Amino acid sequence: MLLIHRSSRAANAVRTVSPGGELFVASVVICMILASFGDAIDPAWIGEAGLEVALFDLGGEFSVLAMRHWHLLQLLLAGTILAAGITVLRVCSNAFYKALRPAPTGGVEKVPIKL
Amino acid sequence: MEFELFSAAFLSALFAIILIDLVLAGDNALIIGLVARNLPKDTQGKVIFWGTFGAIAIRAAMAILVVYILAVPGFMLGGGLALVWIARKLLMPDPDAAISHLAKAPAATFAGAVRTIVIADAIMGVDNVLAIGGAAHGSVLLIVLGLAISVPIIVWGSQLVIKLVDRYPSVILLGGAVLAWTAYSMIVREPLLAAWFEAHTATKLVIAILIFSISLGPWYSERLAERMKPLVVLLPALLVWMLAFEVAASVWKVQVDYLLARDHGEYLLESLRWLGWLPPAVLFLWAREQLVQRIRRIARG
Repeated sequence: MLLIHRSSRAANAVRTVSPGGELFVASVVICMILASFGDAIDPAWIGEAGLEVALFDLGGEFSVLAMRHWHLLQLLLAGTILAAGITVLRVCSNAFYKALRPAPTGGVEKVPIKL
Repeated sequence: MEFELFSAAFLSALFAIILIDLVLAGDNALIIGLVARNLPKDTQGKVIFWGTFGAIAIRAAMAILVVYILAVPGFMLGGGLALVWIARKLLMPDPDAAISHLAKAPAATFAGAVRTIVIADAIMGVDNVLAIGGAAHGSVLLIVLGLAISVPIIVWGSQLVIKLVDRYPSVILLGGAVLAWTAYSMIVREPLLAAWFEAHTATKLVIAILIFSISLGPWYSERLAERMKPLVVLLPALLVWMLAFEVAASVWKVQVDYLLARDHGEYLLESLRWLGWLPPAVLFLWAREQLVQRIRRIARG
């Protein structure tokens, strides 16, 4: 029996994980797959396609190609930043669409201002 | 492979070892308690000390042995495949986690108690040492450091670990992802396949997605709607199908690239590669539907 299985929440982690934690791990997994994508691309092919300048000079160390050299801690950091970015984007888009949503037609207050 | 001390590679490997140690740790405290419960009070203290010492020693010896075993061609691939299964097992929901059968009977003597604790730890720790052997990239220093940090936490701070994973179950998911990542790095480091990967670099991405889709299957399967559940089987199966054609092309020296095909046979092979998976996929979906309906009928009456 694993030590972590002493906790029923941990033994059923796929069901009990919080949305934030899930987003973080999913972002780390995306970064890991991107790193393997960088590993799978032959840099010579990039040169042949004439994309060398665009990818290496503009993207520099942050391009997907450079991710092949990233270690676990760097991938975790990138995953954290990605998760934070997605959260900010989600909050902003929710606020934006909330403002665009029309007031209920049958409502007394057409302008929903609450003091 | 030797790491420069405190470099990003060193700290990353150390973090991976500690995380793997924590999520795959066996419940030593429970086993010690079960084994020693019938012994006299004064012997119990000695059993706890020597049982813990023996468990740590056997774990360290096994981990160092694994580093040398993994250097043998073929074992890195085998170890990587085993890690995929371990990661999947870790994420499988376990509603009624059973107590280990390894230590159900209390020991009657001091030597018997220590022996049971050490054997139970050695059996429970096989997956653990395999994973940390893979994550250590052949560095014995990293394994010893990782064990020196994580074993005391597991033995004397087990309640702390339980509280941590109970509060943040995402640690388990992260552990599963790190195991899958370790499995991928072990498979692509396999010396027997190095030349093949050099010639087929694109297959590394297919292998990475295949490993993640199998290891993390229990996780995304929980989030999928019922009608989308077959994807958990179909996605890895499709990737294996594509990979099989790449392997076949190398083994039997056949042309599977559409742009380089020259005769009808090669065009036929190419069609089989891109469309041949459709009939088995449809057959699988039909058989699954029949099975689900049959189970529903049985449940109704």
